[in-house]
Amino acid sequence: MDLKAKIEKHLLEVQKPSRYIGGEVGSVIKDKSKVDVRFAFCFPDTYDIGMSHLGMKILYSLTNERENYWCERCFAPSEDFEAIMRANDIPLYALESLDPIRDFDFIGFTLQYELSYANILNMLDLAGIPIFAKDRPQKLTQIVIAGGPCVCNPEPLADFFDLFVLGEGEEVNLELMDLYREMKQKGATRLEFLRAAAQIGGVYVPQFYHFSYKEDGTIDRLDVDEGIPATVRKRIIRDYDKVYYPKNFVVPFTEIVHDRVSVEVLRGCIRGCRFCQAGFIYRPFREKTSDTIYEQTKCLCENTGYDEVSLASLSTSDHSDIDNMLSKLIDYTAGERINLSLPSLRVDNFSESLLNKIKKVRKSGLTFAAEGGTQRLRDVINKNVTEEEIMNTCRIAFEGGYSSVKLYFMMGLPTETDEDIVGIAELAQRIVDLFYSIEDRPRGKGVQVSVSCATFVPKPFTPFEFEPQDTREMVEHKQKLLLGSTKSKKIKISYHDPNVSMLEVILAKGDRRLCQAIYAAWKKGCKFDSWEEYFKPDLWLEAFADCGIDPSFYANRRFGYDEILPWDHLDYLVDKAFLVRENKTAHESKTTPNCRQRCSGCGVNKKVGRECFAESKGNV
Amino acid sequence: MLRVRATFEKKGRARYISHLDLNRCMLRTFRRSRIPIWYTEGFNPHPYYSFALALSLGFESSCEILDFNITDDNMTMDAIRDALNAVMPEGMRIVKVAEQKQKITAIAKAEYAFSLVTEDTAGLYEAVQSLIAAPEILIEKKTKKGIKTVDIKPDTELLSCADTGQSVDITMYLPAGTQTNYNPTLFMDALKLACDIPFEPADIRRTAILCADNTVFE
Repeated sequence: MDLKAKIEKHLLEVQKPSRYIGGEVGSVIKDKSKVDVRFAFCFPDTYDIGMSHLGMKILYSLTNERENYWCERCFAPSEDFEAIMRANDIPLYALESLDPIRDFDFIGFTLQYELSYANILNMLDLAGIPIFAKDRPQKLTQIVIAGGPCVCNPEPLADFFDLFVLGEGEEVNLELMDLYREMKQKGATRLEFLRAAAQIGGVYVPQFYHFSYKEDGTIDRLDVDEGIPATVRKRIIRDYDKVYYPKNFVVPFTEIVHDRVSVEVLRGCIRGCRFCQAGFIYRPFREKTSDTIYEQTKCLCENTGYDEVSLASLSTSDHSDIDNMLSKLIDYTAGERINLSLPSLRVDNFSESLLNKIKKVRKSGLTFAAEGGTQRLRDVINKNVTEEEIMNTCRIAFEGGYSSVKLYFMMGLPTETDEDIVGIAELAQRIVDLFYSIEDRPRGKGVQVSVSCATFVPKPFTPFEFEPQDTREMVEHKQKLLLGSTKSKKIKISYHDPNVSMLEVILAKGDRRLCQAIYAAWKKGCKFDSWEEYFKPDLWLEAFADCGIDPSFYANRRFGYDEILPWDHLDYLVDKAFLVRENKTAHESKTTPNCRQRCSGCGVNKKVGRECFAESKGNV
Repeated sequence: MLRVRATFEKKGRARYISHLDLNRCMLRTFRRSRIPIWYTEGFNPHPYYSFALALSLGFESSCEILDFNITDDNMTMDAIRDALNAVMPEGMRIVKVAEQKQKITAIAKAEYAFSLVTEDTAGLYEAVQSLIAAPEILIEKKTKKGIKTVDIKPDTELLSCADTGQSVDITMYLPAGTQTNYNPTLFMDALKLACDIPFEPADIRRTAILCADNTVFE
């Protein structure tokens, strides 16, 4: 029986079968006899989540523009279908050809969040691909690679991957495939290919790098094989306005998390919030022109038939031409009966005219990331938002007819005290009071202030990379304190499971010794750790214990400024000296202006060889 | 305004599109085609279209019915068909677009074809014949009010039954429409109760949507 028949035999036994059979509008089918390199783009979570990922859409279309390369999609099956696959000898396959991915040239994973790591091992196993890179065949096939934000510290996964791609993939992915095609024709081995690939900028081949450790567990030294670059610098697209953008998306049948056209408006962020990894690893700030954004929106809406479009960026309102851009877009979307949604708006530049533009489009809830409960703490994290600005924005929103506001906070931030936690409840209360003080507030229903409180996870390449995470006891104390300080029924508090945040920090800041623990955890049955119903913290703790790993060494220890960090050999353009300086400034509760106001000297402009902003003054 | 009725196929991979998903899929198909479909008026305008019957997940069909309105009176039926077919998903194709001749309530039954795959085709063939010959076929049917026992015998019209050696192939009429809807799986459930020959259904297809007098609904 061929694979398709095997799949179809059981497809009606599972939830949402259209996730497993392909055939969607916009999916690219090629004649495989005319294809030189086959790439399986794997998202280590289910279809519903993975199909929402913009990076996959970009790289999928980009690769498929090359006639002789074929990029296909692959996702983690849900539990019901995984059981059927294992029982019926169905290997993990790609959705376009329904061919097993073990026969592909590249198996490329995107690392979007740490809690998906166990899924990667599970998918390799389902595919019948050796989980450890060292066990893969010597011949040139099955190159297992990864990209995405978590690749900025890939060490906990180093043993499972042949190579990692650092930074933006639009150019380097094709360079890698070109090299592969050329070397495959010459009959090169896997090792020969990896040695050559390591010479491409942005390509990190972990097997050529060797760590040794001190007795206290910290890194003693890193030895690099001869002829291999000592550091690997991430790739960026220099002419971002002209960079490739898809003209079409694969339009799924089943509803996915972000079921809409997504148009990227800018990359990088000018803000420098000290907790935010994205704010540092995606530097420098670059934006597309309003015309480009308009053209791409129109093209994608027409080709996909979506009636909803969302603008993607870290902070859309930081676009230098935001008012004009939105006017243009709204003229088009309103005429075509398309909904425009604008996530990632900042509190401080949320103007009345902007709100009026949004209101024309849609009346959904408003969400603000305040992050810290007191001004002192917001200064520590460099979230340059004042209470006055938050209040002003809420006032504009309430007067404009909104009656619910969602606020994001973090707990466990560096220097945080009980006072800062109580400050969250007080801020929420003042927003409730503000609502009732407004004369022409929306009538009928009361105000709803939702407070969502995440546990702070220090991340590599941020000024807080050195910081310890709060222990579970500390987090639980703070959660109780927050609940106890909340008086009004109009305030709804929700927070994260501290176990999840602890695993996240270990996987984010871990080193190569964690590979065995991730393997052990997966063997014990860990997968879908970001799904509450599947997360098994006890099994993870068992796995760490079995491998002789002390979780608090990674989670709750302050890393020294002069310590060799597991990611020090990776260059994300931001200088470590800058991160140290910012860390010290944070502990003095001092802020740093945003990049447009004044260059803070992170080092990116020097390495890129140009200023980030023509108008910025006082560049270092 | 043109009130039109499209007849479309849903085959191959498209049979895994659920009815709910089909709704969303058609909305996007209309938008891609850019044909001037009529939008509802009111607070939240949306394109008006409606499916005559829902098709169970996994069934193929050559005769699904979709009604909608076109605001451009000069557009030809063939032009509407071609514009939609240019942007339909794999496995779905508009066979015909025509004026709406009858009311949806005229639909009374549907024709189904399916195979029952079994080792013992001769035995299963006999079991089908004796089930059809029985005075009543009682089966528990889930309804909105709960489970109730119904006799599907009076409304089940067996058209053909053939032993192919690998399977027993059946065609039959079953009630469909706004009043009573029977799914062929009801008949299969009854067959499972009536005999102990194991079988697997395959290739379930809806082949016609009919009025009470067995003429094709148009």
